[in-house]
Amino acid sequence: MECLIGIVGKDFVLVAADATATSSVNIFKTDEDKSRDLNKHIIMLYSGEAGDAVNFAEYIQRNVRFYGIKNGIELNPKAAATFTRRELAQSLRSRKPYMVNLLIAGYDITKTTPHLYWIDYLGSSIEAPHVAHGYGSYYTVSFLDKHHHPDLTLEEAKILIKKCIDEIKHRLILNLPDFKIKVVDKDGIREIVI
Amino acid sequence: MARRYDSRTTIFSPEGRLYQVEYAMEAISHAGTALGILASDGIVIAAEKKVTSKLLEQSTTSEKIYLLNDNIICGVAGITADANILINYSRQAAQQYLIAYNEDIPVEQLVQRLSNLKQGYTQYGGLRPFGVSFIYAGYDSHFGFQLYHSDPSGNYGGWKATCIGANNASAQSLLKQDYKDDISLKEAKELAAKVLSKTMDSTTLSSEKLEFATICLNEEEKVVYHLYKPYEIDALLKELNLGGQETE
Amino acid sequence: MSPGSYNGGAVVAMIGKNCVAIASDKRFGVQMQTIGTEFSKVFPVTEKSYVGLPGLTTDTQTLQEIFRFKANMYKLREEREIEPRTLSKLVSSTLYERRWGPYFVHPLVAGLDKNNQPFICAMDLIGCITETCDFVVGGTSEENLFGICESVWEPDLEPEDLFETISQALLCSIDRDCFAGWGAVVHVITPERVITRTLKSRMD
Repeated sequence: MECLIGIVGKDFVLVAADATATSSVNIFKTDEDKSRDLNKHIIMLYSGEAGDAVNFAEYIQRNVRFYGIKNGIELNPKAAATFTRRELAQSLRSRKPYMVNLLIAGYDITKTTPHLYWIDYLGSSIEAPHVAHGYGSYYTVSFLDKHHHPDLTLEEAKILIKKCIDEIKHRLILNLPDFKIKVVDKDGIREIVI
Repeated sequence: MARRYDSRTTIFSPEGRLYQVEYAMEAISHAGTALGILASDGIVIAAEKKVTSKLLEQSTTSEKIYLLNDNIICGVAGITADANILINYSRQAAQQYLIAYNEDIPVEQLVQRLSNLKQGYTQYGGLRPFGVSFIYAGYDSHFGFQLYHSDPSGNYGGWKATCIGANNASAQSLLKQDYKDDISLKEAKELAAKVLSKTMDSTTLSSEKLEFATICLNEEEKVVYHLYKPYEIDALLKELNLGGQETE
Repeated sequence: MSPGSYNGGAVVAMIGKNCVAIASDKRFGVQMQTIGTEFSKVFPVTEKSYVGLPGLTTDTQTLQEIFRFKANMYKLREEREIEPRTLSKLVSSTLYERRWGPYFVHPLVAGLDKNNQPFICAMDLIGCITETCDFVVGGTSEENLFGICESVWEPDLEPEDLFETISQALLCSIDRDCFAGWGAVVHVITPERVITRTLKSRMD
């Protein structure tokens, strides 16, 4: 079904989310942006139960923004991921847990390092060089294991993510016609077209 | 005049004053002095212990300087019982921040948390303000070394060098005279000892009446807290010809 | 599939002569799929005591944060580090607070006390402590670990021999467990210092 991919490069993180909004067997639209900017240098990709996902993503987004306004300093990616993980872990043991899987990608401007976190609906959080959520992960994770390296340039990463998306379109029985691809680096977050 | 307006903290006097808060500050200006000096490579906090009786057991560790978190220490002047409550509160707040964000709390945020609590006690009925002032010395990656002061009203501010407790006005002016912007930690320690030697009642200083602590960074850029042992204080004082006991 | 084997993982602790060792695999998976390969389930609490928390990863991470909170508060209040035996009681009572909605972990505690006497223990998910004088095991490779530890462990091993024993025991066990593996971390705690080494293993 839904698919999120993230790749850490030398000084950036490249992320992609499928742009399909579905309800049961119907496709409603194919240009949905399944991401929220938490602040200038952190982006969160989400997938999961329709209402839960957007609601939770915006709850986190507003909290991270509020932190910046209240304290005059911004959260770094690690702090934002820790905060988000905790919210999900607490939600898991509530009456109605959020069913949301996330990727948090960010650039730490003080340490000048890129970071990528994989978080599932249970509240397990892992920092990794390349990760994916959803059925697409079965094809992409193994592919990236082979081709990913720590000094990846943006051009190389674009080629990799293009191949991942092509593989998903080729192998997955479900139709995911379009993906939104974004890059986070020292200059902030921007969408790119491949 | 004051009588009618000082029974509760919540009541302003016609001149717009909160008497209970002012009394709390007055209480502090009789307490042992504590001072902090911000240096380029660290911070020093020094405090005066009031020895009330020879028979009183000396506590094994500090009673005026406390560790709040791995990156923040504080010096206390005022009612120790009140201070203990606030110190426990701030330690919990720092640990809660660590759980929420997996990082040490930025210094100013911890000072803010504590000041907000203090402010609450000047406004809500049936409570008296905390009779404590603090000097905070801390380090974080955002603003480096920082020195703060907070009083019972909930006001706080950042300082290069400041003093609370008895004779704080004269200590403050001494600090103003001798503080340089590029002061080193070593010079700051000497200045702290010199100022205390002039403002304290007793003629000779010794480890019995003084507490001393510094924070600085080690080679790995980690914050190191150093609470001076009695013999280290005496050695420092002797070096500066300000007293110091013979250590046996 | 039970919560205890959803993410997979294995931890083992052993007593040697005036030393203890605790080791963990590094896999983080979701059922059969491996997501991360750098996730140790062993965490330092003080300089000389460690806690291992194999089980459901969300609970592993939550508990690690809670124990860090409590051990830090203990250190600030008491002005000394928590002893491993005290730590095990703290872990136990924290788990029992959730008696009717437990954290899905199988904790192990290992460390040297203030007299450098070795201490290890294991407990179940609601905090029932089992203290032993040889070895304790936990995680999805529990059964494998029991078997191999039973045959290779012997009393009074020196730090280097203990390292070899615990490493071989863990590697043999996780190689036959598809939910654990992908390298391992070993901590040998001696009175002088903690020796931490990472092990390579079958990456499948």
